[in-house]
Amino acid sequence: MSWVLARGLSRGWGSICWDTLSGSHFSQVTPQAPWSLHYSTVNHKDEAWLVPQPSEPQRKPIRVLTPHEELFRPSPDGERDKASFVGAVQNFRQYSVHKRGHVDFIYLALRKMQEFGVERDLAVYNLLLDVFPKEVFRPRNVFQRIFVHYPRQQECGIAVLEQMERHGIMPNKDTEFLLIQIFGYKSYPMLKFLRMKLWLTRFKNINPYPIPRDLPQDPVDLAKLGLRHMEPDLSAKVTVYQMALPSDTPGAEDPTQPHIVGIQSPEQQATLAHHNPSRPVFVEGPFSLWLRNKCVYYYILRADLPPPEEKKVEEIPEEWNLYYPMKLDLDYARGNWDNYEFDIDKVTEGPIFAMCMAGAHDQGTLIKWIQGLQETNPALAQIPVVFRLARSPGELLTSSGLEGPSPLQAPPQGQEDDHPLQPLQQQGQSGVSGA
Amino acid sequence: MALVHKFQNSTSVLRNCLRPSAALNPFGALHFVDYSTSLQKPVAPPNRVSQQRKTEEGFQRHRQKEDALDITSPEEKPDVSFDKAIIDEAKDHFRRLKNEIVAHWIGPEGRPLHEVLLEQARVIWQFREKQDLDKWIVTSDKAIGGRSEIFLKMGKNNRSALLYGTLSSEAPQDGDSSQSGYCAMISRIRRGAFERKLPYDWSQFNTLYLRVRGDGRPWMVNIRQDTDLIQRKNQMYCYFMFTRGGPYWQEIKIPFSKFFFSNQGRIRDVQSQLILDKISSIGFTLADKVDGPFFLEIDFIGVFADPAHSEEFAYENSPALNPRL
Repeated sequence: MSWVLARGLSRGWGSICWDTLSGSHFSQVTPQAPWSLHYSTVNHKDEAWLVPQPSEPQRKPIRVLTPHEELFRPSPDGERDKASFVGAVQNFRQYSVHKRGHVDFIYLALRKMQEFGVERDLAVYNLLLDVFPKEVFRPRNVFQRIFVHYPRQQECGIAVLEQMERHGIMPNKDTEFLLIQIFGYKSYPMLKFLRMKLWLTRFKNINPYPIPRDLPQDPVDLAKLGLRHMEPDLSAKVTVYQMALPSDTPGAEDPTQPHIVGIQSPEQQATLAHHNPSRPVFVEGPFSLWLRNKCVYYYILRADLPPPEEKKVEEIPEEWNLYYPMKLDLDYARGNWDNYEFDIDKVTEGPIFAMCMAGAHDQGTLIKWIQGLQETNPALAQIPVVFRLARSPGELLTSSGLEGPSPLQAPPQGQEDDHPLQPLQQQGQSGVSGA
Repeated sequence: MALVHKFQNSTSVLRNCLRPSAALNPFGALHFVDYSTSLQKPVAPPNRVSQQRKTEEGFQRHRQKEDALDITSPEEKPDVSFDKAIIDEAKDHFRRLKNEIVAHWIGPEGRPLHEVLLEQARVIWQFREKQDLDKWIVTSDKAIGGRSEIFLKMGKNNRSALLYGTLSSEAPQDGDSSQSGYCAMISRIRRGAFERKLPYDWSQFNTLYLRVRGDGRPWMVNIRQDTDLIQRKNQMYCYFMFTRGGPYWQEIKIPFSKFFFSNQGRIRDVQSQLILDKISSIGFTLADKVDGPFFLEIDFIGVFADPAHSEEFAYENSPALNPRL
């Protein structure tokens, strides 16, 4: 059907419609106008000056306002919210009974939704669909159904649904009714609606680690959520070692007391208790964790793998009964049909003892965390703690036994890992931990 | 080799001409969204449908561009004699052909038949050496003018591969695309002697196994079958891969019955099972519309036959969308 549309269009409406359908809706007006405005002035300047002048600062091209854009100006108290957006849409309707330019207005409104913060609101989308005149675009006979009836409007309807889908909003019965009223049953927006109904419901719950849509604003709650999200052990305990001091202005955190939230499971506690005090433990970080669209950083306390020599050898007791074997080690080899192991040695890394999220990325905060950990893990007092903090919060991956700085790589994001082993800190730390 | 790529390039040109009528949308000529940023929020339903559309279309083209760049950019120094190089390459191909024929006597792909038939778990891609990284291509929307970057390097101790970069959903200012922001890592097609394509045969397995360590972002796994036909250029089977984040290694098992069919980045109405006979390549895409740095550490990728999984295909075809089925 799509090629029929293309052919029909090319014959019927020529290149004009071709351009519009090529999808330059969004930036149709803006780039054209300033270019033509500037072109003439530049020519004049070139003729007047023969000596190269220092380049003047780039002037932003004068933006021509799209029609109806003045409706979306912020309200007198500077607030952009749902009420003003709804008001703008209602104002458009009062312009004319015939609703000229409704397609452009709807595209403009879709673009403005982000600023007004209503892109998640189904009622607003329904209101926007309501702007279309009803019953006009419905095909009335088979010819109109074959050749896409009012293609620009159908495209616009699909654009509205597309933005809904992009933000993960499920359309409801009102949307369905509106679409039927506007476009009819056999239209492309209706088809898209059916597809959304099918696939959005199918993929609603496929995330095995779901995160609530509304993330908590409080950083301590966010840290708790993040730590619980990362830790597979359900019996792990989350401890808040330090709360951020409440300050007068909301949102400003006191730099002298950032929040510290840690997590440790009983197994990790036991492993730390059995850890050999002669081997150091490392505090590494910060690593990034994305919760929906928020990035939080966490630190881990881990140790390297013990070298193979240190593995304890189990003693074999001597046989005291010669008639029957006391210990039977029959190693029956299983056939390949039962072997579900992969033929590769997986990456093994040292044990991780605890994780934490802190408000500040400096060593002082982490020292406080270690001190808090020492209350529940008295063995930590004897173990030297080495701090390996990355300069920029990027990925710093745990190594398995490789000491020393890794070579710096080219990419400019500053995500590179570098191990600044600081011997001063180490001594300082062993001083602290010994005390 | 060069001919193959020229052909691919010409087909891409043809496709660009046909694009207004290609079904990007049911609407045909509409491509107001060129590369969807396809928000893939961890839980909800967003843009599954649109996700595929753009990203698939996106990195089809980039694959070709990458291949084209590989071949046409001259990196040889002028003092290498072309005759010698050609003869060496021909000899290399004949040697590989001989190895293949000899291996065929032992069993499929050189392994004895009893081992291959009884195998329940197979490692397909591992990352233990530098050469293992050459089997992968990384692309991002830089190829269409976006700002995302992606890099691939070996992880610590040469024991894993690290895929990292920055995602930016700033749309390229080419007047055509309104959304952007994707990064992808695709495996190169396995080539045999004389650059024949060697597809993978995973018909005895039913689950894909990945051992990864991510940062909480949702990725998408795409499996492509043989794409010699023009119609199949942008078709692939996709599913989501949700990383947990955190310092622990995560084992992700995706049964092949869960993969849905998509063409040109859009999920299709007519869904059919993924046939595991001729798998050409696999790819990972990140396009969750959240700007910022990301990383994914991969230990290895394998397939295994999960005895507890008996589902053949997870998606029914709905009569509302295709009444003829």
